[in-house]
Amino acid sequence: MTPPASMTDDVTDPGTTQTSEDRARLRLNLMSAPEATRLRRAEWLTVIASLLWIGQAAAAAMVIDDLVSGQPDVTNALYGSSVFVLLGVLRAALSHRSGSITLAAAQAVISRERNRLLAREALRSPFSEGGRSSAEIAALTADKLAMTIPYLTRYRPAMARARIVPAAILLVALPFSWIAAFILLIAGPLIPVFMALVGMAAQDASERQMKEIGSMNGLLMERIRALTDLRLIDATDRTIRDFRRSAERLHRRTMKVLAVAFLSSTVLEFFSAIGVALMAVYVGFSLIGQINFGAWAKPLGVGEGVFLLLLAPDFFQPLRDLAAAWHDKAQAAAVAVELDAVETAPFEPMLGKGSAATLPAPPQLATRSLRWITPSGQTISYPDFDLAAGQSLAVVGPSGTGKSSLLALIAGLTPAETGAVFVGDGTLDDDTADGWRRHIALIPQSPHFAHESLRANLRRFAAEASDAGLRAALNAASASDILARLPRGLDTRLGETGHGVSGGEARRLMIARAFCSSAAIILADEPTADLDAETAHAVTEGLLALKMRGASLIVATHDLALAARMDRRIVLGDGT
Amino acid sequence: MSALLRIARRLLAEEWWSLLRGTLLAVAVLAAGVALLGLSGWFITAAGVAGLAGAGLVFDVFRPSAGVRFLALGRTAARYGERMLTHDATLKSLARLRVSLLTALSRSPFPRLAALRAGEQLNRILRDVDTLDGLVLRLIIPFAAATLALTGALVALWLLVDPRLAAWVLAGFGTGSIAALVIVALRARRPARLAFSAQNALRLRTMDLIAGRGEWLVAGQTDLRKARVLSAEARLQDANTETDKAERLSGLVMSIAETVVSGGALLIGAWLVIEGVIDPAIAAIGFFATLALAEILGPIRRGLAELGPMTDAARRVTRMLDVPAPLPATPKTRTARADEALVSFDRVSFGYGGERPILDGFSLDLAPGEIVALTGASGAGKSTILMLAAGMLEATRGTIMLGGLPLGEWTDTELRHDVAFLPQRSTLLAGSIRDAIRMADPGIDDGAIWSLLSAVALDETIAARGGLDMRLGEAGSGLSGGESRRLALARTLARRPRLLLLDEPTEGLDRETAHKVLSGIHRQMLENGVILLASHRAAEREFAHRCHHVAAPASV
Repeated sequence: MTPPASMTDDVTDPGTTQTSEDRARLRLNLMSAPEATRLRRAEWLTVIASLLWIGQAAAAAMVIDDLVSGQPDVTNALYGSSVFVLLGVLRAALSHRSGSITLAAAQAVISRERNRLLAREALRSPFSEGGRSSAEIAALTADKLAMTIPYLTRYRPAMARARIVPAAILLVALPFSWIAAFILLIAGPLIPVFMALVGMAAQDASERQMKEIGSMNGLLMERIRALTDLRLIDATDRTIRDFRRSAERLHRRTMKVLAVAFLSSTVLEFFSAIGVALMAVYVGFSLIGQINFGAWAKPLGVGEGVFLLLLAPDFFQPLRDLAAAWHDKAQAAAVAVELDAVETAPFEPMLGKGSAATLPAPPQLATRSLRWITPSGQTISYPDFDLAAGQSLAVVGPSGTGKSSLLALIAGLTPAETGAVFVGDGTLDDDTADGWRRHIALIPQSPHFAHESLRANLRRFAAEASDAGLRAALNAASASDILARLPRGLDTRLGETGHGVSGGEARRLMIARAFCSSAAIILADEPTADLDAETAHAVTEGLLALKMRGASLIVATHDLALAARMDRRIVLGDGT
Repeated sequence: MSALLRIARRLLAEEWWSLLRGTLLAVAVLAAGVALLGLSGWFITAAGVAGLAGAGLVFDVFRPSAGVRFLALGRTAARYGERMLTHDATLKSLARLRVSLLTALSRSPFPRLAALRAGEQLNRILRDVDTLDGLVLRLIIPFAAATLALTGALVALWLLVDPRLAAWVLAGFGTGSIAALVIVALRARRPARLAFSAQNALRLRTMDLIAGRGEWLVAGQTDLRKARVLSAEARLQDANTETDKAERLSGLVMSIAETVVSGGALLIGAWLVIEGVIDPAIAAIGFFATLALAEILGPIRRGLAELGPMTDAARRVTRMLDVPAPLPATPKTRTARADEALVSFDRVSFGYGGERPILDGFSLDLAPGEIVALTGASGAGKSTILMLAAGMLEATRGTIMLGGLPLGEWTDTELRHDVAFLPQRSTLLAGSIRDAIRMADPGIDDGAIWSLLSAVALDETIAARGGLDMRLGEAGSGLSGGESRRLALARTLARRPRLLLLDEPTEGLDRETAHKVLSGIHRQMLENGVILLASHRAAEREFAHRCHHVAAPASV
């Protein structure tokens, strides 16, 4: 949950600790490197746009000077204000162009990052260490990576302007009056100094504030999730009262924090206002002749004075823009740190690419001296076995002895440490895996339903199955009663809506899914775990019906009744 | 838009006084900014005129320069005060919005609450609430303040400079703002909505791709699914580009309007000077003040970009908030005669409208003091029967009577007083063990809590880990699955109901603990209380006085 930007956009937040700050900077640079040329061009455009103001100021100053000292003439005024407007329009057009370039570049940057992240994580073995949950990867891909856009489109251009524009204005002011330049020089650089001082307090403050707004959402989420239970014990009114109280406590704490945090932006406002005021007072006094120093050879004229006054606000503007965009950088840095953490986490790939492949030689399966290392570092050695078409095999043993991983090794979902799986006429490797898997259908222990219709979910291993085919498969798996109860039949979306199915029903749907496919090898992982006897029996019969159809069956289980119905068994753990 | 106004009213309702003061300070900030630049311009020009005329010594420099300094400092102070006031009020209204949401959701039907447990939908609601957080701070206050400041400045220009200048500024800014607004309204709304749905698709498809990656790989569909994620991403990018284009175009229109108005103000000022209507220093006020006014419009421009997303979020959130308040309890006599069944199901059916119901023509009578176990295969409808009895679902046909009255005539509060239900999955909150039990019975003392814990065989575990003060983490983390289930059971027992509904209460417990817990439940029940449980364990069937087999509805 991210805190709303409204609460934090005026708060200076210099980021996290030194090392992660460095990593974040490196990662952000790496990210934007392919677009560096475009980004730089856009940044230059905004710098030039800002500098055009100097020309506008000069044009306006000439008109006013003309009114005061010269022979006022409408043509001159028309000429001066036309230049002012033309430069202004050019300035707006340049900013507009720069914005479109940076957005396109920023989108290219995050598109590339999304692509990379997904390409990698989609092939991460389910057994690999360092994997994040699908919700975390989804949040990173869809929401968090997008938070780097303001860094590229706002912060970086603001930074470019802050580097060049104030210095340029200072250089322009210097030939007219060294005092004017001095006023800007003093007020300008003092801003970062003071902001750093206040910022130290504000940094801690803003972090705490973000945490507290986050925790308000956390409290709310926890309570909404528990609403069913709270209502059943008649505790909703009390809960709402408690929530209101803790929200009030949170609010009081947050305000204390903000009181400090706003100081830093107030300092910025203060210096920019006082800079303009000092400039006005100095110029005014020297025009009257009460101040006779500061200018070089000849005293300051009205036009020059107006020019200097017009420059003053724009001297501070880039600094104010930068301060307003400071939060964008902190946010992007946090995303970069997380991205870096995901990318540097241990990674074990699955075999193959998961692309459509042509059906290879007929399915024959054998394993020889297979060894696999668990994520906790334990080595598991598997007995060798051969499996001919249409045979069934039970893999039994206590939990933690590697039953599920044997199925994963056969499907190429995790690489073997040593030894080999022989499939068809070769060994299972990156090149043969995609083809080999066309023979396989999975019945996983905890079924995953994608956010789409039951029809689409059942077609997982049989993309072209017709509705009639699906209904036949559900019949064969004695799962048609489940379908009959669902409100929208095959169009029902499971999981996302409240119309869920129970654990046993989900398992039967998985068997139906295997029936839809013409897979020659069925891998079933604990198909009867946590089921009552009646349902377990129905599931077992469904599996045997699959075998009757000619499929080979490998079942990892500790259900001895199920294991007894298989042709052969291998025992893991104590037996080897 | 009307949804947005309703949310705005809700947010403003109780904080209007601090918001008003905040807005006035915001006006002061803007006005001080305009006045600072206007006064400075006048001061310099007038000083220049005086200097040239050799009248420098008689020119009053001190009052204007003091004014300039006062405005600079006053602006800073007003800014700080404005921020504190408006953030204070906003934070309060944020809390209020969340409280209203929680209140409204707590009244929604149970199936809807169950759907909310799935993280994604809840996340979407919270994202909407987060979006609305900026409504006051970034839309309402800047808009109100800018309108007021602009009006004030126009009046000042009218009086100080010339009506013609004021008219020019009004016409210029008015046309520019309206054009910018129209561009955003016409061209940014649709892509903003598309972007919202594309972003949801991107999130869900990524979740599917990653959660099912093993299956996609085996099915040879990894590439295909990744391509689907990326197509949602491309849609999102296109929609964002469109929104951005519209916003930048409206920004361009505003910038050009600002430039043209300022340039025009300069020209009009010069012309008025040449015509002899005003003197050059007054013309300078006009030009400088107009320049500063352009800065007022900046926040509005940024706020406009958020108008679309906020309107959409408001529409979805108001839909959530529109839950009618529950009917007040009407006292009625509802005592069952001693010889009557406490609960009776009479040919009750339930279904979600599929080809076949989940439950069909179920009948059962429960006499006071009875313990009945429902048996049958998973999917036969045991849990549904319990949920119907708890009033969480409404029967599609047939009637359920409780204490001689149809269930529909009971209000929620009355029903909760007499009926307690332990569903298959229950959720705990962060807090102490004592808090968890007190949720169910605020008046309960520690002794009674301990006897409840001993009834569910948790007393030793809790005593060893800090007693009743033991803290649970978020959603009750810190206890194992079986332990938190038993704590939820203790919480249910604390209600001391006349009808106790238990869905597989000893699931996941070993035989010995299961027996302990079942006899503990018996000890804690009221005399003549009724227990109805869904079970698939022998221990639970032995515990019951009788079993009732539930058969799945027959094929059509």
